[in-house]
Amino acid sequence: MTATLGRYGRILFCFARNGLVRELSFRVNFLVTIISEILWMGMMLVFVQVIFRFTSNVDGWSNHEYLFLLGTHFLISSIFEAFFFDNLQRISAQIRTGDLDFVLLKPANTQFLLSLERISYTAIANIPLGVILCVYAFSKLDAPLTLQHALMFIVLVCSGVITLYSLMFMFSATSVWLIRQTSASHFWFYLTSCSKYPAEIYKPMVKGVLWFALTFVFPVLIVANLPANVMVRVFEPYLVAYALFIAVALLALSSLVFNWAMSKYRSASS
Amino acid sequence: MRKYWQVFRISLADRFVYRTDFLIGTFLRFAPIVTTIALWQAVYSGSGRQEIGNLQYGEMVSYYLIVMISRAFGSMPGLASTLAVDIREGTLRKFIVQPLSYVIYHLHLRMAHKSVYFVMAAFPYALVFFWCRGYLPGWPVAELWPLCILSLVLSFFLGFMINMAIGLLSFWFLEVTSFMFIFMVSQYFLSGHQFPLTLLPDWLERSVTLLPFAYETFFPVMMLMGKMNPAEAGRVIAGQCIWIAVLSAVVAIGWRRGLRRYAAFGG
Repeated sequence: MTATLGRYGRILFCFARNGLVRELSFRVNFLVTIISEILWMGMMLVFVQVIFRFTSNVDGWSNHEYLFLLGTHFLISSIFEAFFFDNLQRISAQIRTGDLDFVLLKPANTQFLLSLERISYTAIANIPLGVILCVYAFSKLDAPLTLQHALMFIVLVCSGVITLYSLMFMFSATSVWLIRQTSASHFWFYLTSCSKYPAEIYKPMVKGVLWFALTFVFPVLIVANLPANVMVRVFEPYLVAYALFIAVALLALSSLVFNWAMSKYRSASS
Repeated sequence: MRKYWQVFRISLADRFVYRTDFLIGTFLRFAPIVTTIALWQAVYSGSGRQEIGNLQYGEMVSYYLIVMISRAFGSMPGLASTLAVDIREGTLRKFIVQPLSYVIYHLHLRMAHKSVYFVMAAFPYALVFFWCRGYLPGWPVAELWPLCILSLVLSFFLGFMINMAIGLLSFWFLEVTSFMFIFMVSQYFLSGHQFPLTLLPDWLERSVTLLPFAYETFFPVMMLMGKMNPAEAGRVIAGQCIWIAVLSAVVAIGWRRGLRRYAAFGG
């Protein structure tokens, strides 16, 4: 067990080192990407401020509570993008071209190799942006800061990342059936364009069915909303327990789906 | 002319290969509309106002729906990056040695893509608009019809030229993909895709609408929503024409200058 963990630790370290070398060879690119991320965040902030020019709350979320939610969203999505996004995006091409063969041949867990091979340092550099926004918004609110809340927040951020990862990984695995599908980056865009808003806004839609579906069936709404709620609004223990359960369950499911997909994989080369 | 017709035909066939993928993609494209409807419902009820930025709630939702129509004309996914890759990896060579203009070649390619897109997307678009008919403001008045269609067609050319101009930057900079992201983000906001530009404070709205991006999406959409009289609509058409002319000139000059620098990597 320890030996296995040690081995995977070494592989991860090796990926991290390779990534750093790659990143350092495109330094300007690194800078420009960070600037563009700041711009993207700035634009989102403009949008929120535009909304709050006209209203004092969005379904009970005040301006700074909303900003905290947005910060949490940025934090979670940058962690996801730092470790998984580039990798998951490549899977569909690896399946189409048959390059997956080389990964399958390696004596390590294929899902692990596929998911973590490329670490994006640019996205890691974006993580502080989310943190800064959270800290700023939090300082404007008079919510109590306790160790218990903070720990809960960290745990929920991690489970949010795992939830997103599992959904995206399953989506990528379906490339085995749908060659040249809607790309992973589109899917990611749709996921986040749904999850970065207060969950309550979906409640009036289709008599609450949509909110229910996006919380319990295809759980994208809990990803950023729950940690933000825990810190600055209400604490709902049953939803927290649910979020942790869903993260573990989806991770297990993603592995099942992947193995099933692999049993249907026909190499494309030669 | 016949060679470009062939380009058009081959590209047409290529597009029909991935049909299922296309249908799923088109429906997914409307998914954010659901969020839009939900979000603005919350904003309108929170504000207690009937109108925000001169738009009532139903009009706000229609705005985002009609943006989808205007984007169907104006968006050029991958055009700038295709040009960037062709320049960086030297594949541009094969176009230079042929009696074919790269820009016009791509214009036809895009026209074919759009034609297929309109044929195939007609059904999903019609379905979504039918579902959302309660929000829509009704058809534009008869005398505006030709101007509306013209402005959509012009937003195709405008989108094409903007993307070409950005792609041309690759002649001077080796790695432009990250610039493209900056460009896409700005375009998303400045064109009025994220929210109607009327929501901005006046001074900001006035400056943003001077840029070509607003002529790609915001103005044509307002025209289609019946928010303009024929005179205003005419001014928008004129603005679109001016920007297309300016950008075409930029592309033509940039192209000539760029080719002089072009090193045809990877011989």
